[in-house]
Amino acid sequence: MVSALYLHIPFCHARCAYCDFDSRALRGAALDAAADRYLEALLARVDALGDAGALADVRTAYVGGGTPTVLGDRLPELVHRVRAWCSPSELTCEANPESLSAELAAALAESGATRVSLGVQSLEDAELAAIGRLHTAEGALEAVARARAAGLDVSCDLMCGLPGQTGESWRRTLAGAVAAGPDHVSVYPLTLEEGTPLARRAEADPALEPDEDLQAWCMAEARRELVAAGYAPYEVASYARPGHECAHNVAYWTGESYLGVGRSAAGMLSAPEWDGLSALLGGESAGPGVARVRYVQRDDEAASFEVERLSRREAIAEDLMLGMRMTRGVGPELLARAREASGEKSVGAAVDEALTRGLVAWAPDGRLAPTERGWLLGNELYGLMWGLAADD
Amino acid sequence: MATNDTSHIRNFSIVAHIDHGKSTISDRILELTHTVEERDMEAQLLDTMDIERERGITIKSNAVRVTYDADDGQSYQFNLIDTPGHVDFTYEVSRSLAACEGAVLVVDATQGVEAQTVSNANLAMNANLDIVPAINKIDLPSAHPDEVKEEIEEDLAIPAEDAVCVSGKTGEGIHDLLEAIVMLVSPPSGDYGAPLKALILDSYFDEYRGVVATVRVFDGHVSKGDQLTMMQSGEDFLVDGVGVRRPAETPVGELGVGEVGYVVTGLKDPAAVRVGDTLTYRDRPCAEALPGYREAKPMVYTGLFPIDNKDYENLRDALEKLRVNDPSLTWSPETSVALGFGFRVGFLGLLHMEVVKERLEREFSLSLIATSPSVDYHVYRTDGTMLEVRSPQDLPDVTRIDHIEEPFLKAKVIVPPEYTGAVMQLAIEHRGITQDMIYLTEKSVEMHFDIPLAELILDFFDQLKSRTKGYASLDYEFSDYRASDLVKLDILLSGDEVDALSFIVHRDKAYQLARGLCDKLKEIIPRQQFEVPIQGAIGNKIISRSTVKAVRKDVLAKCYGGDISRKRKLLEKQKEGKKRMKQIGSVEVPQEAFLAVLKVDDQ
Repeated sequence: MVSALYLHIPFCHARCAYCDFDSRALRGAALDAAADRYLEALLARVDALGDAGALADVRTAYVGGGTPTVLGDRLPELVHRVRAWCSPSELTCEANPESLSAELAAALAESGATRVSLGVQSLEDAELAAIGRLHTAEGALEAVARARAAGLDVSCDLMCGLPGQTGESWRRTLAGAVAAGPDHVSVYPLTLEEGTPLARRAEADPALEPDEDLQAWCMAEARRELVAAGYAPYEVASYARPGHECAHNVAYWTGESYLGVGRSAAGMLSAPEWDGLSALLGGESAGPGVARVRYVQRDDEAASFEVERLSRREAIAEDLMLGMRMTRGVGPELLARAREASGEKSVGAAVDEALTRGLVAWAPDGRLAPTERGWLLGNELYGLMWGLAADD
Repeated sequence: MATNDTSHIRNFSIVAHIDHGKSTISDRILELTHTVEERDMEAQLLDTMDIERERGITIKSNAVRVTYDADDGQSYQFNLIDTPGHVDFTYEVSRSLAACEGAVLVVDATQGVEAQTVSNANLAMNANLDIVPAINKIDLPSAHPDEVKEEIEEDLAIPAEDAVCVSGKTGEGIHDLLEAIVMLVSPPSGDYGAPLKALILDSYFDEYRGVVATVRVFDGHVSKGDQLTMMQSGEDFLVDGVGVRRPAETPVGELGVGEVGYVVTGLKDPAAVRVGDTLTYRDRPCAEALPGYREAKPMVYTGLFPIDNKDYENLRDALEKLRVNDPSLTWSPETSVALGFGFRVGFLGLLHMEVVKERLEREFSLSLIATSPSVDYHVYRTDGTMLEVRSPQDLPDVTRIDHIEEPFLKAKVIVPPEYTGAVMQLAIEHRGITQDMIYLTEKSVEMHFDIPLAELILDFFDQLKSRTKGYASLDYEFSDYRASDLVKLDILLSGDEVDALSFIVHRDKAYQLARGLCDKLKEIIPRQQFEVPIQGAIGNKIISRSTVKAVRKDVLAKCYGGDISRKRKLLEKQKEGKKRMKQIGSVEVPQEAFLAVLKVDDQ
């Protein structure tokens, strides 16, 4: 059952200095022309999937980018079209403060969006300027207010390890974000991605490189402050007021199937789901011994896909790896399936190793959950779990 | 050629300063004589090993036969013998030159004579070769061939009226060069009817044919079915075939007097065939072996350990296989607490070490750790006995050492006069003792000094090159053993001594090196789950310290739109990186940490 749908909007008004994701910076008439062309293909794709019955069970949808809000009125139209095929209980649009007007917020709510994820990043103007954001701190807070006024659930993205950021300025950003009262907060440590302007600048000026110790402190500090303010950490980077977890993101971490629509959007289907939709996904069947197929759309027209096939054993190891991103960790049922697929001994060894290294701990309900150490050193933990995919 | 007539044979090598165009000229000669068609040309065709091509250096000797139809209407057999170009391979160079009657000395028309031109010309003249000067790169606008001719006469004392102006790039003048080789290089002499006397220049191992030796015949002749013996090693064998390289191996009926080619020995023991040895008939040997044979003696010893201990046997097999091309390679088993089972391997020098390690890793898919280089120390114990120590781990307890002696070299540097100060300074920094300076010409000075081998092997050659802007050339030979105040510097990770990181060093330099090593290791060793103190110690005394901080955060950041594959690939890449590290106690140590001593910045 495909329960989640992701739609990608590869346009922005300007590229941020740290971003290596698929998006083109366009404005005015050039943006209009490119967006119209792109959306035509995107909507056709939504309709094709809808016609094939693939969207009927979608419970969460997420329009990401890029900056979906640069689409203006086209964005509520897109939301509306998605709603024509399914009735998701959660439908998120990513948004940047400067392009989320009160009118657009209202139109989004009207069209059936339930939630916006705002790229706030920082509430210090100098830090925002350093990473090439187009908004100020004040502008970000006003956007939060506009979204709330429209009746939308609001999430704020924050980043730590930004050029010029200090422990003090991070505290101010956290306090400001909490005061704005969003329903959900995400905290991401900045990583320098190869080829980005920031990575190039950091090559010449190593001071721009994020200080990992400071980032670790910032992440821990955010956790303290947000927990104190009533937000529960439920995933590596995510905090929510009770009942406001992002169900779409949770789907990614818990092995649920999802469809990706648009250039460079990723999807994941079980082998039977893939075979049922293969005519729309390049035409090749999953093949023998394949339990799960991951794909990324390569072009605007959905004619070309990058496909990765996973065995049952790999799929389960992946579920363990992803499950460890969740604060609640993985349950006994998944562990039992892992033991069956990878062998009692391998799973036992990986779990023991993670316990010995202090990365996980057993919870009273029989779940295996990451410790604070396992949270901050997630790669160690994920690596151990993914290691179960390989034969000994 | 069943005859004494060698008048149509010319054996020569090409020598030059680096980048003066030796390889391009070789390539043009192969092209012009239709040995290799243009479409098959790859730059630097003669350098066959990947490593040679990548680094643009020649490590192994090579001999190619070309046929040249000269203007006099005669057809000539040219044997073009390529020689190694690094100080580590001085012996191989001398053997290659011994196989030639002539040398083409290439000088860049824009750069003129440089220090290496001088030292190479000296080598060629010492070998009594006929020299054909070739002024290269005359296609460049800044070429000044007339001045370069003057330099050749003044600085090298070589008559330059015969110098040929060529362009390796355009091919201009190559025809004239080939004519000059015919005119100026003497044909070989020898007696076809005499017992075989042939010099081994090089050899390689072929799985099916055994050792294949490259030889130069001085007297007699050799063909398939001959029963031969090697005069130094005493090994007998039946010739399984002879041939020449054009450059592909081409069988011929026989190799006659004066000719260069290969002999298939069928021998399965690589060590039996040594560069410099003399081949002769088993039942009718020549009176005496060719002069100049020398057991290739290693100068430097490093430990080589497989990262995965399961590869120990594979490493030994791989070393055996490399030795066939490289008889100078020697080794003995070594055990390290930190690294497990491996070998202490002797090398001609550090470049040789790097090349061997790289070949072992590439050609035999091994992942190896090389430890700090050491020389052969003579340790005199309090009981009066002497112990040869090639690994810091083998050094006895200080209380049982009376004194230690280390090998000294006589080093010879040829350099333009303006750099003599810089060279002297460098020598002093490396505990060298300047003996004298001789003006060879107005533009080159020969400096002699005594220097500990241990100092020379580290970075002396690179430093010499950089401080003299590449002008200096270096030659050295063993002098004697001398007593020095040497100590063992130990490195501790997380409080535990790591034997593979120990180093023998002069006491006066120990503190500086210990500081440098601790700082370098701090850079090389990645942050771990726990803090890792790094300490340098002499005996029980800690003399330096640095700390690798614990990693606080290592987590995948934002996962855009559920693109899990991408994140998983990052994890896998991280894991690959870890495989290349050695777990020592609880610390993951990258391969390069064990050679950190080579990377300590000079203060």
